[in-house]
Amino acid sequence: MDFNDSPEEAAFRQEVKTWLAENAQAYREPLPLGPGDIRIAEMGREWQKIKARGGYAAISWPTEAGGRGATPIEEVIFAEEENRYHVPVGPFVGIGVGLAVPTIRAHGTPEQIEQFAHPTLMGDILWCQLFSEPAAGSDLAAVRTRAQRDGDDWVVNGQKVWTSWAHTADWGILLARTDPEQVKHKGLTFFLLDMRTPGIDVRPIRSISGESEFNEVFLTDVRIPDRCRLGEVGAGWGVAMTTLMNERANSTGESLLLPDVSSLVRLARERGLAEKNQRELAALYAREQGLKYFQARQLTALSRGEQLGPMSVISKLVFANVLQDGSAMGLDMLGLEAAFLATEDHRVTRFQYGYQWAAALRIAGGADEILKNQIAERELGLPGEIRADKGVPFSQLPVGR
Amino acid sequence: MSEHMEALVMIRDQGRRLLEQAATPERQRALLDQPGAFDRDLWDQVVELGWPGAGLAEAQGGLGLGWSAVAELHQLLGARAASLPLLQTCLAVDLLVQADADQARHSEALAAGAAIACVSLFGPGEPGLPERPLATLTDGLLSGSSTAVAFAAVADIALVYAWDSGAGSPVWVVLETSATGVARSTPNVIDNARAMAVLTFENAHCSVLSIKDPVAAARRLAAAAAVITAFEQIGGMETCLHDACDYARERRVFAQPIGAFQAIKHGLADIYADLEVARGCAIDALAKLENASPQLPAFAAAARIGATAAYEHAARENIQFHGGIGVTWESTEHFYFRRSRSLALEWGSLPYWRELLVDNAAMLTEGY
Repeated sequence: MDFNDSPEEAAFRQEVKTWLAENAQAYREPLPLGPGDIRIAEMGREWQKIKARGGYAAISWPTEAGGRGATPIEEVIFAEEENRYHVPVGPFVGIGVGLAVPTIRAHGTPEQIEQFAHPTLMGDILWCQLFSEPAAGSDLAAVRTRAQRDGDDWVVNGQKVWTSWAHTADWGILLARTDPEQVKHKGLTFFLLDMRTPGIDVRPIRSISGESEFNEVFLTDVRIPDRCRLGEVGAGWGVAMTTLMNERANSTGESLLLPDVSSLVRLARERGLAEKNQRELAALYAREQGLKYFQARQLTALSRGEQLGPMSVISKLVFANVLQDGSAMGLDMLGLEAAFLATEDHRVTRFQYGYQWAAALRIAGGADEILKNQIAERELGLPGEIRADKGVPFSQLPVGR
Repeated sequence: MSEHMEALVMIRDQGRRLLEQAATPERQRALLDQPGAFDRDLWDQVVELGWPGAGLAEAQGGLGLGWSAVAELHQLLGARAASLPLLQTCLAVDLLVQADADQARHSEALAAGAAIACVSLFGPGEPGLPERPLATLTDGLLSGSSTAVAFAAVADIALVYAWDSGAGSPVWVVLETSATGVARSTPNVIDNARAMAVLTFENAHCSVLSIKDPVAAARRLAAAAAVITAFEQIGGMETCLHDACDYARERRVFAQPIGAFQAIKHGLADIYADLEVARGCAIDALAKLENASPQLPAFAAAARIGATAAYEHAARENIQFHGGIGVTWESTEHFYFRRSRSLALEWGSLPYWRELLVDNAAMLTEGY
């Protein structure tokens, strides 16, 4: 937000603009890739290396961790400026930089931090997040994937699902059950898994957009050395919480791929539909506006080292729904031409992508319903859900679909 | 803490304590039962605390705490469904100081709380600023009428957006409500605590405000009113959410608190999210108002739309979650239900602000 920049921030923005003008020239035009083309992961790796060499790979990390020691606001300024280009940024790199490394830094041994933090920043290691399972999504602590001790190794069997970019990842962060006789949150352990280990079968899942960004991952007698365990045995839930907190803080944001309300209003004007749809357009504007500055307050909280609390929850909840409502309205205004999926028209594909991506975003990283439960219970003090699993060993819990 | 901040904190904390004691449900019910009602005792007490002058510049006899103080005080008022002509005072002085110096005596009386102002701007039958206001100025005399105007029932001074028949354009005039040719009637309205009245003018003596562009002044005034009212609406929303959550924790059905049911939990979470989004819009609009930013119209419109829609939703759902008890006169829920509707109608209703926002939305992203 330019007009809120302090003098130091304005200077940083200018420095970034200059650096990007020199280093992001190749990304002036949209990348010559269709949605879901896996080559973007390798391009992302290269861009990450360029950023790392420029000192922009970990802006808000402390200098001793290889970062720049700057504020989260400066992180956002960089992202804002970077997003003026069609740079290959996304979860293929972000899962490592934004989720895996903060978790490793918080819970890892010095050796683990040494092995993973810097190479990830440099784009040498791409990561995936092996958390969700067919029977453990919103109820993540219900994971069934089993890790059993065998000498210096753990032997892992089970199935993960919705694993974004597992097909391009070098390593994965894995949540597995090590003791089914404990209550479900207590029997979990967190591991770092080399994705080249024998016994890992990554099968792409075709999503409603036709792309295959996420996968099923089958793990059959996969051996993980104990030195790749992150945190204590049985302490996996607490470690995973660090990952999830970082996930939510990272899960919304502007992108050239997604439509905003301004682009919707431009379309409405062109088609002579702005006046007839004023009610909906104005409501979307107001929600987007409130959210934008709400996110700025969230950043201020981050930069002061305060807890995000409910802010990140509301951000994702509102953002995904505004995106879905606005994208649907854009498609309606485009009319039947919006039915053609392979269109060359960048604007049409933006609304199409927004519409389909919002459907996934409303579920990923905490479904709307889970987020509303969190708001209701943590912020409004309403009763928690009835917990049939409370105090019951995991192995005794009924199994459903 | 700066001197201003200290003064603001003091006035706010005193105000909160006062409202907790004085703005009681019994008092509110009595006000609602009587058209044109006004809580004169409460007004006298906030005058003692210096409220009318809080936001005004020191040159106008105020404390110089700015619009942010007015916003905070309105949030307190909104939270207790209390209704005082504080915004009207600020808007009137704002207009008067733009005009000639001989209006100074009005400004001083208003700043000291010795006089009460009302502002007649919007007309009946249309959501937005009237192109041709109902009251007409001919040869220096005002005739015609206003529509229902908040605090007109008790105002000493009325600022009226009128039609100058000589010039063929709108004009701002000020007159004393005690002047010959001014009459007022107090109809029964949805929220009688607003001290609403219809003003009727019959060749009433008035002073024309020498404002260069009366239409622009009207737009600016409406924007300022929208921003401050958004804070009053946020205060009301907070109380609705708080009351509904309290009730949801206590009321039991099927052997459970109703707040354990997701239909209720999620409904309350939705109100919370809307409230925070509305707050975001309002805080940013307030900054634009304080800085007299050219971006104000769009930001004020977003604040108006965000707060109005969210307050209405919160007030309705608060009654819904209370069940039958919520629609009784004995409940307090209808205070907010009435207030949300009245505030949605005062200062231009949503169709006007939607058009303003959609037409000026580029202002929201200027500077990016």
